[in-house]
Amino acid sequence: MGLELIIPILAATIQSGTPILYATLGEMLTERSGVLNLGVEGMMIFGAFFAFLVSHYTGSPWLAFACAGILAGLFGLAHAVVCLVFQGNQVVSGLALTILGVGLADFLGTPYVGLSADGFSPFSVPLLSSLPVLGDIFFKQDALVYLSYFLPFLFWFFMNRTKWGLAVGAAGENPAACFAAGLNPVKLRWAGIFFGGVLCGLGGAYLSLAYTHLWTNNMTAGRGWIAVALVIFAFWRPGRAMFGAYLFGGIMAFQLRLQAVGATLPSSLLLMLPYALTIIVLLFSSARGKGRQAPAALGVNIEPGE
Amino acid sequence: MAEYVNKRTNRGAFAGQTPFVRLQGISKHFGKVRANHEINLDIRPGMIKALLGENGAGKSTLMSILSGRFQQTSGDIYVDGNLTSFASPKDAIKAGIGMVYQHFMLVESMTVAQNVLLGQEKAFLVSPKEQEKEVAALAEQYGLPIDPAATVSSLSMGEKQRVEILKLLYRDSRVLILDEPTAVLTPTETEQLFEAMWRMADQGKSLVFISHKLKEVMAVADEVAILRKGEIVDEFKESDVPNETVLANRMVGRDVELSLDAQPVEPGATVLDVQGLDGDGLEEIMLSVRKGEIVAIAGVAGNGQKELVEVICGLRKPIKGDVSILGLEWHDFYPRPPRKGRSLAYIPEDRQGLATCKFVDLVDNFLLTTRHSFTTGPFLNRSKAVDTTVDIVEQFNVQPGHIDADARSLSGGNLQKLVIGREFYRQPDIIVAENPTQGLDISATEEVWQRLLEVRNRAGILLITSELNEALQLADRIAVMYRGRIIDQFPKSDTKKVDAIGLMMAGVTPE
Repeated sequence: MGLELIIPILAATIQSGTPILYATLGEMLTERSGVLNLGVEGMMIFGAFFAFLVSHYTGSPWLAFACAGILAGLFGLAHAVVCLVFQGNQVVSGLALTILGVGLADFLGTPYVGLSADGFSPFSVPLLSSLPVLGDIFFKQDALVYLSYFLPFLFWFFMNRTKWGLAVGAAGENPAACFAAGLNPVKLRWAGIFFGGVLCGLGGAYLSLAYTHLWTNNMTAGRGWIAVALVIFAFWRPGRAMFGAYLFGGIMAFQLRLQAVGATLPSSLLLMLPYALTIIVLLFSSARGKGRQAPAALGVNIEPGE
Repeated sequence: MAEYVNKRTNRGAFAGQTPFVRLQGISKHFGKVRANHEINLDIRPGMIKALLGENGAGKSTLMSILSGRFQQTSGDIYVDGNLTSFASPKDAIKAGIGMVYQHFMLVESMTVAQNVLLGQEKAFLVSPKEQEKEVAALAEQYGLPIDPAATVSSLSMGEKQRVEILKLLYRDSRVLILDEPTAVLTPTETEQLFEAMWRMADQGKSLVFISHKLKEVMAVADEVAILRKGEIVDEFKESDVPNETVLANRMVGRDVELSLDAQPVEPGATVLDVQGLDGDGLEEIMLSVRKGEIVAIAGVAGNGQKELVEVICGLRKPIKGDVSILGLEWHDFYPRPPRKGRSLAYIPEDRQGLATCKFVDLVDNFLLTTRHSFTTGPFLNRSKAVDTTVDIVEQFNVQPGHIDADARSLSGGNLQKLVIGREFYRQPDIIVAENPTQGLDISATEEVWQRLLEVRNRAGILLITSELNEALQLADRIAVMYRGRIIDQFPKSDTKKVDAIGLMMAGVTPE
């Protein structure tokens, strides 16, 4: 009896958590390269819209998914121009990116509100889906969810076991040391911003291609901000990002379910839950310790000639 | 004080070979300022060359030219006998010239091996085990003990320096330039560094040792070149390096009083009294300072001096025991020390971090601890503060004396003079000075010492120093610290105990 109620909520948890996971890893990559990009929300909704648009006209969800990533990455490069070419303020530039992205998606998307597009549908993974409980939760999802299972590990492997990942990390920790070692920290940060943007765009694409198969205004609804907070909660480590994303996914799925069964609580209070949790989570993760610090040069621009 | 025994085994084995690098007639001008003038220098394999000179003598400029950061105005650089020019540090590194800067260039969150190999990884995929093995082998070859798997942030300064050296060795540098390498090291680490230097030289590397610590130069160097006002005024080969006094004279171009004549002053009231202070690694500290005396705490850094100073200066709460400052209990004195009248001044070791703000001008830096003297209610009388700063800058000979310059534009010695001027302005009754002459050149050191002796007439001074000579020069009483305890304290006149300080610093209590 209990399980029958809980399993659908947990399966929905994975679904709600997936777009946040993509975006969190994206912002994490950018921050590990030393740049704070508060434009996650903007890049996500940018990705969500173009994913919808491409799929709507071509009928190819995979093409739409790829385009969303690349376009959001390119959109994010505006931030790179401000921070890496003109040494502008990273906070202001990121906020502008969010405002621009949300506004642009709203403006361009108005004619399409309520229209549908082809997307990803759940399918069962042979063998694994027949596992008791776990199969129903994890292995009756769509392709983008399965892809996201591998991402945190790939992220970790890239940052710790490849030459490029170590170089990106060095650019975020100590650009001067990175430069002294013969690397180019500015180029590495360009890459960090671009590929971070790609991941954010993919997270957005999940919303319009898999979570729903249609376009509505304000589709991301603050998920980008949750991702920014989760990077801190995760102490810049991908494993914890996965945990955090599902924690938030769980809250979202839970409050939807509560609304559906007609709980007596006012719905606005329930809708508030994820954001309230964001604040609580940040409170608890502000206790810094060994291995919990932000990249040392996070948010610090590289002045030319240094 | 530990005497260094030169352990070179095959000095001269590389004699007669072409110098790795030959500088010929190198001049460098910054606008009208002549930083280097007609410098000739040979850097030969298997040799440790010391470059001696005061702050501003042109050592750093010369080495920046050699490491490719600056281009010379005129003159030639020959590498292996071939005329070469360096457009960037990359070119110099390629030519085998590497520099260990005073401020380390390391990624703190990465391991030793990752730092050494950063940007030099052979394959796209990286195996930590392989990397660590490679670094361990290199460390072994040159006698630089280090754990390659350790995270850099957990290392001591000496270990971080070894990582910097390993970085250069890994890049096959043949010329290693060490800029003031011992400034951040404990005596033991200094000795280890010297041993590694000898070992590297024995294996044919050439080393350039930039320093103004004469004792160390005498101990470690094969050749000494003295730089003054941008010119090489003297060069000594291995056999004819003269004694310290001669070197010091040549360096500053006048006679330096390296030893002071400190006449004792009649001590007055007790200004600091520590009774049985315990915790935070400290054990049963008993210490008192009276007006008119300098009490030196000698010992190797990291034996509890920092904790003790932090308690006395109000940065850390005493866990157990009594600390009374100017007759007030610690909890009455802090967190709001009396603003006017009787006060405590702190001259921290970290001049750039704790004592001053890098990016604000001298007036605001002056106001950091003195603003109460210039305020009426919420308003600041800035013009008075500006005038006073001008006075202080003049009186304490802070160079260059532009009060609207940022603190970061001052050299270490001048910044220290500003800090001392500021703290003395408050007319403190007790002064805590932490390694006040670290990294300073001889004439700046002498000035700081003189100031401390002068102010003794109206204040008690607690001097924390890791330079034994400083303690012997200034102190009326000496306390030796080891592992959080004060091993012994005695007046400077107790020659028998003074002779045993070295033993005490190593934790041996003489009978």
